[in-house]
This record gives sequence, C-alpha cells and structure tokens, in this order.
Amino acid sequence: MTTPSPYSTVMDDAALTGRPIVLTGQGPFGGDREVDEPLVTGAKKYLDVDQDICVHTEQFPTRRWWIAFTIALAFLGMLGVALATLFYVGMGIVAPNSPVGWGTFIVNFVFWIGIGHAGTLISAVLFLFRQKWRTAINRSAEAMTLFAVACAGIFPLIHLGRIWFAYWLVPIPNGRGPLWVNFNSALAWDIFAISTYGLVSLTFWYVGLLPDLATVRDRATHPWRKALYNALSLGWTGSNRAWRHYEAAYLILAALATPLVFSVHTIVSFDFATSVMPGWHATIFPPYFVIGAIFSGFAMVITLMTIMRWVFKLKNYITLNHMEAMAKVIMLTGMLVGFAYITEFFMAWYSGSAWEGFIFRNRVFGPYGWAYAIMFGCNAIVPQVFWFKALRRNPWVLFIVSILVNIGMWFERYVIVVTSLYRDFLPSSWGEFNLTRFDWMILLGSFGLFFTLFLLFVRVLPAIAVSEVKGVMDPSVAQGAQK
Amino acid sequence: MTFPTSSKGVLGQFAVPDEALVAAQKTHAAGYTHFDMLTPFPVHGMDDAMGLKRSWVPYLTAVLAFFGIVAAQAMMLYIMVYDWPMNFGGKPAFAWPAFIPITFELMVLFAAIGTAIIAVWAGKRDTVPQPPPMLIKTGATRDKFVVWISATDPKFNPANTLAFVQSLGAHGVKLVDEKGDAHA
Repeated sequence: MTTPSPYSTVMDDAALTGRPIVLTGQGPFGGDREVDEPLVTGAKKYLDVDQDICVHTEQFPTRRWWIAFTIALAFLGMLGVALATLFYVGMGIVAPNSPVGWGTFIVNFVFWIGIGHAGTLISAVLFLFRQKWRTAINRSAEAMTLFAVACAGIFPLIHLGRIWFAYWLVPIPNGRGPLWVNFNSALAWDIFAISTYGLVSLTFWYVGLLPDLATVRDRATHPWRKALYNALSLGWTGSNRAWRHYEAAYLILAALATPLVFSVHTIVSFDFATSVMPGWHATIFPPYFVIGAIFSGFAMVITLMTIMRWVFKLKNYITLNHMEAMAKVIMLTGMLVGFAYITEFFMAWYSGSAWEGFIFRNRVFGPYGWAYAIMFGCNAIVPQVFWFKALRRNPWVLFIVSILVNIGMWFERYVIVVTSLYRDFLPSSWGEFNLTRFDWMILLGSFGLFFTLFLLFVRVLPAIAVSEVKGVMDPSVAQGAQK
Repeated sequence: MTFPTSSKGVLGQFAVPDEALVAAQKTHAAGYTHFDMLTPFPVHGMDDAMGLKRSWVPYLTAVLAFFGIVAAQAMMLYIMVYDWPMNFGGKPAFAWPAFIPITFELMVLFAAIGTAIIAVWAGKRDTVPQPPPMLIKTGATRDKFVVWISATDPKFNPANTLAFVQSLGAHGVKLVDEKGDAHA
C-alpha cells in the first residue's frame, strides 16, 4: 500500500465525527471514497490493546476502584442484613401483602432480568447482524447479563416466603406424593427460562473469554498466574484448526441465544398475561416486555461504559461513536416502549371492558399517577433528546438519560404490578401498597451485589474482548515491529 | 484427523494477516499436512488457504437440539400424563401447547452447552501437535501470525523445513524441540 491508512491519524474522540471519512480522489475512476471511522482510535498497535486492557488484571487496583468497591460492598452488606432479617422474622416486614401480593419482589425480578437482556442482545443479535462496534462492549455487557440474572434470581426465591423449600420449584423425583411442579403454569416455565438463560449466557461468555485468557497467560510472568490462566484458557494456542470449530460454535451460540433472549422475557410476560387481571391480560405483553428489557439494558450498558471508559482509561476502545450507536438504540426502543403504552390505552378503550378502562384511567389519574408520570416521562419523553446529534455525543447527557431511563423502567414494572392489583374487581378488598424500609434495603442491596460482582470481574478478567477488538483493527496500523 | 503427539517443529512469524494467508496457501501447496496457523484472532479466508473444510460442529448441534426436544417432551409426558395426571376443568392431561415453552428452553439448553463443549473438544482433537504454550512464546495470542509445521509431518526434515519457512518470508524462524505436553 502506498497511501498511509486514514486510521493512523484518528487519535481520540475529538477527531471522530460520527460520519464516514471522505478520501478525496482515492475512489474508482478518480472519484471520492468513503470509509467508516475506525472503531479503535489512537493508532493503537495489537500489543497496545493487550497492555491497555489486560493491565487492569495485573496491577494493584487503583484508589478509584477501591472507593467504588467499598461502596458496593456496603450495599451488599445491607442486602445481607435485610435478607437475614426477612428469613428470621418472615414476610410481614416487607410490603407485599393482600391485595398487592406481587409487590416489590416481582418488580425487582422483572427489572433485573430486563437489564440482563441487553448483554445478550449486544453479544448475539449484533453479532448476527455483523455490527462490528459490538466488540468493544460485548464482554462487559455479557458480564452484566450474568450478574443481572444473579440479582434477578434472588427475588422469586425470597418471594416464596419459605426459601428453604426453594428446591420444590424444580421437577426432581421425590417421595412427597409424588409431588411435581405444574407444567401448565407460566411460573414453572419461568424456572426453566431463567435457568436456561443463566447457563447459556455463562457458556457464551466463557467461550468468548478463551482466547483472551490465553493472552493474559502469555503476558503473565509469575508461574502460578501463568498456570492458572493456562488452565482457564483450556490451553488455547490460537491454532486456526481450533478457530475453525470455535467460530462455528460461536455463530451457533449467537443463533441460539437470539431466540432465547426473546423467549425469556416473553415467558416472564406470560406470568402476567396468562392471568385474567385487567391491565395484565393483554396479547401485547410479550413484545412490550422484550422491548422494555432491551431499552433498560442498553441504558445500564451506557451507565457502566461511561464509568468504565473513564476509570480504566478505555476511551480509545469505547469511543464516542460507540456511545452514539447505543444512544440510537435507546431512542428507537424508547419510542417503541412509548408506542406500547399508548397502544395499551387504545386497547383498554377499544375492548369496551369496564374493568380494563377503569384500571387504565386509575393508573394515570389515581393515587399512583405519580408513578405513571415518572414512567412515561423517563421512558417515552426523555430519550427524545437523542434526535440531536450533539446530545447523542455528549457523555454527560448520555449518562443522565441512561440513569433516568433505568428509574423509569423500574417504575414501569411498579406500575404494571401494583396498579393492577391494589384495586381489583371487589372494591371492599381495595388497599394500598407502600414500600417498607426492608423493601428499600433489598432493592438497593441488589445494586450492591451487582456492582460488587462487576467490579470484581473488571479486576480479574479482560473487560474488553481483546481478540475481537484486534480483529476489527486495520492491520497496516496495528501490526507489530518485525524482528 | 488425529495426529501423533510431539512438541517438535518449525515456527515462523508474520506481522499482518495477509502475509500469513499467503504463507498458509504456499505451505498447503508444498504438500505439508501437519501444519497450523496460530493467529490472535480468526483470519478471514484462512480455512480455505489451509485447505480445511467447514466445521462439522453445527451438525451435532442439530442432533443435540433434537435430543433436548425429546427429553423435554418425555419428561412432561411422564409427569403430567402417567405419573400424576391432574384434572384442570376436564381438559386433556396431555396439554401440549403448554409444554412448548419448556420444550424450547431445553432444546436451547442442550444445544448451546453441548455445542460449546464439543467445539472446544474438537478444537483439541483436530489440531496438529502445538508448540507447548507454557514453554514457547509464539506471540500468536498477542500480535504475531505464526506458521507452525509439526515434526510429525511425513515431509518434515529439520533443515529443509527451516529453509522452506524462511523462503515464505517469515521472521523469527526457529526449530522448536521442547519436552512438554504437545496438546496442552
């Protein structure tokens, strides 16, 4: 090649415009040629990628990491205290009770499962669509999926009330009758959906990690560290004969994870939709839940990536172009969610059902109208700021919107669960629903668990998929010195 | 294909994927069979250059998926119809539409986890004896694209093979002869 690569001069976010680079006079017949902007800025070499990403697993954590970890651990401790009290005293200390038997625990469960969905979407669906920008964020998004599923898994179990009978949820041969789960129940489907989702996400994540664990091994100097990462990488050498099967399997896993992620939140929505409660009994629920899950999950990815690219100095890998792409997904899914809210109202009116009409009028104008206002404002209106390119490319706007979206999405589930139950068919059984201090401790504590796991992850494993990032770099810029 | 074990061979390094592709074509054309390209990331077109066929792993995925479907249906049929039938408003005990979600989940579970295990195992089985990763730094997980010709190759001859790899334009060409687990 005679002309130097246009990527060798793109050094940081300031040099990125979000538009293609025009190479004047380099196209066919002397015309112009447009190329995409580089996914990695700073004219990085392959070895720089190893250094920038793996170094965080090799050195003593920074002060910023310790501060974050201490706060996360304090919240995790709060979760421990709240759960111990809950198991010792009983369900009377938390809000779920008649008439709102499905209170905060199911709200938190649906919220956390939704967060997890963006990780699978980024790693599987964007892989199938050949979206190369996913390489910078897929590893941490998949880790986010795993930890979100771990947080979600707590809530159905503690919602049982008697957690020591949790093994009754799985169909294992037993001497109690025999007593089996009822496979006609959406709740039994949920057990299979969530456990399959957790296991498949873990497999997908670990398979993706194998080449990078070998990179960490080959950088290691201490023999124990080398041996440990060699064992974890299953002796990966980079052999193309192994890559051949690896790539086939990775494609298959993506193709399996894609329908899986849609099925999981569909089945979660069946928990509601297969009941006969007004406000729940709707055919729109599966797509509505799946879109909401992707929406909230992408918001959480933006929150995490904004912090990660700053704390770990990864702005050359997670560039403003990546953040803008995620902002576009937020805007699209935000509008779909808003469309679903409006469709629900149309159907409540069009169905002619008095109960359905009452529930929806009550959601907006009743005592919990404030929750509906937060939900609609944060989810349907706030993301409209992303119509403007300048705002899509402003990290502060992105960060604030992503947090507002997650608050809005928590309240979406609150609105769905609480406002359908607190005033049902029989006015004499109407009641109220107020979170107790233990509900708050468990909700905030679950964030402690999530962030503790995430901070440990970025400390011991490469937080960006090193081998995949190398695969999208321009070799003419990134090649090593020849000796 | 299964290969005898040895950790002896010749390796040479390239800096960019395109050079490695040409080297793979030439090595394949020269009649070497026990050779491998070690790369930091999968290089597009390398399978063709090395004369490798498509992976057979996806066929097993189909078998595993079918097995998952059968396992799920058999479990629910046994439990809901034979072992403990329950009467829900006189509806049939074999409520197959209600069994579909779990059947789908178990199909995905069996297929996904089985595929991952088989692909890792196949990657070991179909690989020529490798330079032992704990002893030799090939650079292939970092920034080098490495051609590796194993001593188990029928055409292998230390002097000739060394000269051949040098003729490919590789850097850092050397003969590896380490005692170590060749499949590690």
